[in-house]
Amino acid sequence: MTLALDMITTAAILFIVASGLLAIFGVLKIINFAHGAWLTVGGYCAVVCAQAGITPWLSLPLAFVVGAALGGLTERFIVRPLYDRPLDAILATWGLGIVVGQLITLGFGRDVQFTESLLPGAVSFAGVDYSLYRLFTLAAALVIGGGFALLLDGTRLGLSARAVIMNEHLARALGLDTAKVRAATFMLGAGLAGLAGALLSPLTSVDPTMGVGWLVGAFMLVMAAGSSFAGLAVACLLFGSAQVIVSTFVSPILGGITVAVLSALVLRIRPKGFSNV
Amino acid sequence: MSDAPALSETSASRPSRRRRAAPRLALLAGTGTALLALALLGPEVFDRFTINVLTRSMIYAMLAITVDLLWGFAGVLTFGQAAFFGVGAYATAMILTHVGSSPALLALALVAAVLIPAAMGWLVGWMSFYHGSTAFYATVISLLVPIVVTQLIYAGGATTGSSSGLVGYWGMDLSLDGYFRLAGVCLAAMTVAALVFVKSDAGRVLTAIRDNELRCAYLGLSPQRIKIRLTAALGAAAGFAGWLYANASGVVAPEISSFVFGTELVVWTALGGRATVLGPVLGALGIDWLSASLSGEMPFLWQLVIGALFVAMIIVLPNGLAALVTRGFGRRGGDPAMGAAPPLVEAPPAAEPGAAPLSDLSAPLLAVRDLSKSYGAHKVLQGIDLEIRPGELVSLVGPNGAGKTTLMRCLTDGDARSGGEAEIAGRSIDGLTPDRIVALGVGRKFQVASVFESLTVAECLRMARVSIDRPSPWASAETLALPAAAIEILRLTGLDRMLGAPVSLLSHGQKQSLELAMVVCLEPRLILLDEPTAGLTKTERATIGAVLRKLTAELGCAAILVEHDLDFVRDISSRIVVLHQGRLVLDGTVEAVVNSDTVREIYSGGGHA
Repeated sequence: MTLALDMITTAAILFIVASGLLAIFGVLKIINFAHGAWLTVGGYCAVVCAQAGITPWLSLPLAFVVGAALGGLTERFIVRPLYDRPLDAILATWGLGIVVGQLITLGFGRDVQFTESLLPGAVSFAGVDYSLYRLFTLAAALVIGGGFALLLDGTRLGLSARAVIMNEHLARALGLDTAKVRAATFMLGAGLAGLAGALLSPLTSVDPTMGVGWLVGAFMLVMAAGSSFAGLAVACLLFGSAQVIVSTFVSPILGGITVAVLSALVLRIRPKGFSNV
Repeated sequence: MSDAPALSETSASRPSRRRRAAPRLALLAGTGTALLALALLGPEVFDRFTINVLTRSMIYAMLAITVDLLWGFAGVLTFGQAAFFGVGAYATAMILTHVGSSPALLALALVAAVLIPAAMGWLVGWMSFYHGSTAFYATVISLLVPIVVTQLIYAGGATTGSSSGLVGYWGMDLSLDGYFRLAGVCLAAMTVAALVFVKSDAGRVLTAIRDNELRCAYLGLSPQRIKIRLTAALGAAAGFAGWLYANASGVVAPEISSFVFGTELVVWTALGGRATVLGPVLGALGIDWLSASLSGEMPFLWQLVIGALFVAMIIVLPNGLAALVTRGFGRRGGDPAMGAAPPLVEAPPAAEPGAAPLSDLSAPLLAVRDLSKSYGAHKVLQGIDLEIRPGELVSLVGPNGAGKTTLMRCLTDGDARSGGEAEIAGRSIDGLTPDRIVALGVGRKFQVASVFESLTVAECLRMARVSIDRPSPWASAETLALPAAAIEILRLTGLDRMLGAPVSLLSHGQKQSLELAMVVCLEPRLILLDEPTAGLTKTERATIGAVLRKLTAELGCAAILVEHDLDFVRDISSRIVVLHQGRLVLDGTVEAVVNSDTVREIYSGGGHA
């Protein structure tokens, strides 16, 4: 039972981490390698809140806002000139990640920091004691996924975003301000990365390179998901479960690369990944 | 073709090869000498710390060269070279630690450090490059490889030393200075070899693939195969650097195979200047040496500066610092824009295995039965039957959206159609990739001129001959040997006087003519042309018409021409096929089709066929 809960909550965490990256990739067709850096920034938002003695719940909106603001700046000055050069955009955002990582190191030092859990303790669930916070991540993932579904289907921005995803030239020809859609999407994606960082901080530790470790797995999941949130959910569930199984029964070190390896294999066999589930 | 080209040099042998142009030789000799001088004299000048650091930097510079060949020249952004380097280094250290140290074992380690990464490179290449794979996907895989290797090292326990690495084994019996010199000589050799290769005819193929992979495939080359071989070869080179590193440093740690190190290699290459070979070498040497010197005083600030510089460089100056330097000297080592070009000579006809059926006019060159193509429920083509024999010039007409271009695609890509049969010279094209279909004797000209923007006219034409005349990996051929028909196109369109011009400077019409000449260079038996005269002047159109008639009537080729200009079609066709709403509605002589009511109806917008 614990194993099953581990599988589901691992998938939830992966989904939280990857959703911001997917939002940006889906609309902008750009891989944001600064994603890891925003994640770290979000983690440090939690640290700052803890040090200032503010309730950790506040760190969640704070991380989202800080991430979104930084994302807006990034889109304007770094990503916008590179829409025609997607491979260069990977590099430029990676370079930005280096810069952000070093700035954080200068500001906070290299030491590993810990934050206290938003919801400490365990609950009894179907006969086993299970970490309350991990269950909370499941709820958070559902909220984020549901939020995206609402956003895409129910709002003007979502409609515009879907139009841009399907046919950007046509969308522009029809008078949509595609630049604005891109900027909004990028801010949303970066904000989600920050939020994910703050959510992760009680589960792991916070240090200037915490984002890098998550980046590659998230990146691979997004590639496997295509441009679809349903696809991402499926990929997270399948590969997250596989990761838990490998970590438990084979080796935690190899478990760490399960998601990435499986995603690559799926893409080799099915280049469209899970985009049409 | 009354004034036949002066073909004094026509001979049955392959064109002779010789290095072109003195300035390039001077550049090569200068580079080689400078690096060798650094290698040999360095120990006299530098202190121990600098010697130590520079030995490492020079090994890293070799890796930067491999990244540059893959990314700068072939356009494959890779973070994976660190993995091959790490595997080479670990193979060496593991043999020396666990088996023992002797000259024989050192040699064995060298073999292992080259062969294992080469095999890995082949596997990685196979994963990364397949018909239809994307540039993103190759980058994804290149990210994954170092991560997998690093995790395996961590999981290796005592065998790999896990997180603390391996240390305390005995490498080659060389002093500090000795290793410095060895690394320097190896770097000099690799730099010169890379410079020679990228300027050679074979090296230009990489640039052609970066520019236009589709065109390469339709010139009978397999971009996938070439990239797989390149990945394997450069994996071996990185493995060799790893062997050197394991010997020189006496320690291997998981970080050297990590993806972060892989990105560092890309940063050095980008800052030095991609696609220049020398830029990445200087970038790696300079930045790694500066990092070592400065990081003691301001470790994080230094990384910050490098990162910021990198971002700025990618956005503002994508070709790196070297581009600033070379801009003053004009393109590619002193060649002026309208550079010298090799003289044209006529190539002997290729010994075609299929030459015999060409005379047999009764056997169809192309046979299509019940071909269909649909996207989901939407049927773009259905029930197409078509036979084309040698010597025919068949025009394919029909309104926009009738499926003409789709039909062309279904005939040149074995996986494109949804149903039915297509045979070329009696051979089914089922499952064949475009390059294999080109090898059956098919040439395709695209609707929008598809050429190589960063090559010269002569280089484009040479690319079209690569599948027939194997290019030399170390030299550029002295002459440009092309089939007579291609030479005639060049003369008629005046391109023969612009062989040294960069393609990016050509007009739209000139690019169209160049592409046609490239297709003819393949000596195809069946030519597919998608609106070859769109956007051309009347004179240019007449020229192309004359060439097509000659190719089909005199040389026995068959041609399928998609065309909107009905006057042009009437003038040159031997047969006309009308396509309407995905069906073949008419197939007959020029007279029959032009005078038919159906055609009039379709073009006046009314009819349903």
